[in-house]
Amino acid sequence: MNQETKTYRKGEIPGIIAINARECKGCDACKRFCPTGAITGMFGTTHRVDVDRCISCGQCLINCPFGAPYETVDPVDEVAAKLADKHVTVVGIIAPAVRVAIGEPFGMPAGSLVTGKMYSAMKKAGFVILDNNFAADLTIMEEGTEFIQRARHALFGEKAEHGGGIGPLPQFTSCCPAWVRFVETNYPALIPNLSSAKSPQQMAGAVAKTYGAAQVFNVAPESVYTVGIMPCTAKKFEASRPEFQSAWHFTKEKGGSAPSAPYPDIDAVLTTRDLARLLKKMKINLAAENDAEGGTLFAEYTGAGTIFGNTGGVMEAALRTAWVVLTGTPLSKIEFTAVRGLKGVKSAAVTLRDRKYGKEVTVKVAVVHDIRANIRPIVEEVMAGRSPYHFIEVMNCPGGCINGGGQPVCDTGSSWIGRVLPSFAWS
Amino acid sequence: MSKNDPSHEFIENPFSLSRREFIAIGGVIIALLALPAIWIRSALINRNHHIQARTKGLYQDDATAKIRLSHENQAVMKLYKDFAGKPLSPVSEELLHTKYVNRMKALS
Amino acid sequence: MTESSFILKHPLRVRVFHYLLAASFLTLAVTGIMLYFKLLAEPAMNTAMQVHVVAGVVLTMDALAFFFLAFDRVVLFTKRTFTFSGNDIKWFAVLGGYPQKILLHKKVDVPPMGKYNAGQKLFGICVLVGGTLLILSGWVLWALPHAVPHGAASMIGSIHLYASWVLILFLFVHLFLGIYMWDDFKAMFVDGRIPYEDAAEKAPLWVKNDLRRLG
Ligand code: SF4
Ligand code: SF4
Ligand code: SF4
Repeated sequence: MNQETKTYRKGEIPGIIAINARECKGCDACKRFCPTGAITGMFGTTHRVDVDRCISCGQCLINCPFGAPYETVDPVDEVAAKLADKHVTVVGIIAPAVRVAIGEPFGMPAGSLVTGKMYSAMKKAGFVILDNNFAADLTIMEEGTEFIQRARHALFGEKAEHGGGIGPLPQFTSCCPAWVRFVETNYPALIPNLSSAKSPQQMAGAVAKTYGAAQVFNVAPESVYTVGIMPCTAKKFEASRPEFQSAWHFTKEKGGSAPSAPYPDIDAVLTTRDLARLLKKMKINLAAENDAEGGTLFAEYTGAGTIFGNTGGVMEAALRTAWVVLTGTPLSKIEFTAVRGLKGVKSAAVTLRDRKYGKEVTVKVAVVHDIRANIRPIVEEVMAGRSPYHFIEVMNCPGGCINGGGQPVCDTGSSWIGRVLPSFAWS
Repeated sequence: MSKNDPSHEFIENPFSLSRREFIAIGGVIIALLALPAIWIRSALINRNHHIQARTKGLYQDDATAKIRLSHENQAVMKLYKDFAGKPLSPVSEELLHTKYVNRMKALS
Repeated sequence: MTESSFILKHPLRVRVFHYLLAASFLTLAVTGIMLYFKLLAEPAMNTAMQVHVVAGVVLTMDALAFFFLAFDRVVLFTKRTFTFSGNDIKWFAVLGGYPQKILLHKKVDVPPMGKYNAGQKLFGICVLVGGTLLILSGWVLWALPHAVPHGAASMIGSIHLYASWVLILFLFVHLFLGIYMWDDFKAMFVDGRIPYEDAAEKAPLWVKNDLRRLG
């Protein structure tokens, strides 16, 4: 891509999604899925993506009836070469939503849970497993603690432990890079409300190249090659953000050996579709594999980490941990069903007793997915200072990451979640 | 058409079909027209099946997990013990937290 | 029979239906081809699409109106086009005698036909089936491409494409033969009447079985 771009910094990949002019029929279907209005072109003409507005979510790609949008970044060959290189430790960072979709390209029904087969196939291909569910658990620790800090600051005037600033409420989740870029390009005033926690993918990369290299894989950080395996096209963009070279900075500061040119925390991102292509290229039939264990410290995960792929999952996982940390008592019922399901905006209020302050508090949370349809009223409320919520989970894709732009394209499905209404395209 | 109309002298028998034939053929036409409508309707109803199936898959993974709370993940605890200290510690802040940029200025 | 005797072949409502059908279908075919081959620049393509949509709405209204106001004719037409006999096979064997007549100026024996000859029946079936498919698929593609599963939408797109190719090809033959048989052309576009002798020659079974004398 050589075009002039305005909303990208140096090093960031613009235009992860483009439309193949030859295939496009100008039917306007994609426009009805695009959260940002980034698709231009009149009805009946070839459509294009305005990369400055595009947040790389890939919803247009998985929903175009004619398969016209495509990914411009294809790291399959590069990853295959690294896998073949015996001096490189290739760490496969597998997102939650991949395990319920990777079976589909191998002929299994939608929704088949194939964690064991996936581990086996990936180990055969040469990956070391870092289950991103592990990083999701880590995210809950960081993001949940941050939320408790913000809430106690807002309610009880608690000061930050290290004297730094404390962000305002409501706190927005930050694990969806499309949502983060949406805030950055449309509502920058809300940046302080975004949780400062990195997404699980970026945490995983940073951990793999520091603690992982030193104490788990026992190799030099620069010989670790981290591959995010994601249901998501926006993760390709996220990995290219220049601040995500934290492992290199960290290693250098600590006086470790570090090459002069910084390396990224995440070297490459494969979508679920890319992984299926890679495995097929290596003649590995995932469906025929036997279940295997992950086999590393980083393959250990909890039920709270795995539901990150569903809309409401991050919130549910955070509530479980926040409850126990705040009240000091175990949960009588682990599931928070109010935040599950495909309703556009879900909300819940949890009343609990903060043992540190000995006071009852009611935590109000909201869960938003399919931001094209549902986010505007929520952010307008926050901007106007009228938002009743303390913590808001946002995922760009309808249904959450399980229906992300990098997932296998399901022919019998559509991301259209709301009521079926005809829409008469005109200009 | 008046019978004295000179323009033509013959017209088609209004019904060269019997009543039964008419109902049978008419019925078949309407049934065939209904088929695509029914098909599209059922395709519309099942359009989110894959989303629901994948969602169910992950909740099932959760329901059968031995540990279901993030802070009980032993590997995460080990990471804090051996390396990061605790959430929001300086190491955590450096490696696990980030900053965002305002990209709107560039757009206007 | 006197020389001036005529048969009312196409009643007024049939002719009105046919006018609108011809006008909208020709428009749809031309704009459709432009859209498929992307022959124009952006704003003009959009205009072509808008014309396509308007003509499609006209065609749909026309078909619906005819379906409800003249359901008897729809049934009659369906029966006639779907009724075959051995004669139809023989007719196809000599292609109705048209190529011989047009190219070689020879007259061959043609088996007796009803109101529609075998070729017209085939065309009629294509119009009934293909036209219905085109209308239904067109509406889905215009109004619902986001909501139907994209596999289904893409299939509906292919149906729209292939049905339109078949009908456009048949349209050329239909236009050519329609103009070649000038009496029929006049009947459809002007007053609905055709000369008795002409019909007796081309559609002897119809003339024999299905007509009623006025008065
Ligand atoms: S949905 Fe696909 S074919 Fe239709 S306008 Fe968008 S890119 Fe083009
Ligand atoms: S990737 Fe997402 S934001 Fe970009 S054009 Fe497609 S739907 Fe719109
Ligand atoms: S919801 Fe998930 S898959 Fe969709 S853009 Fe966000 S992170 Fe990616």
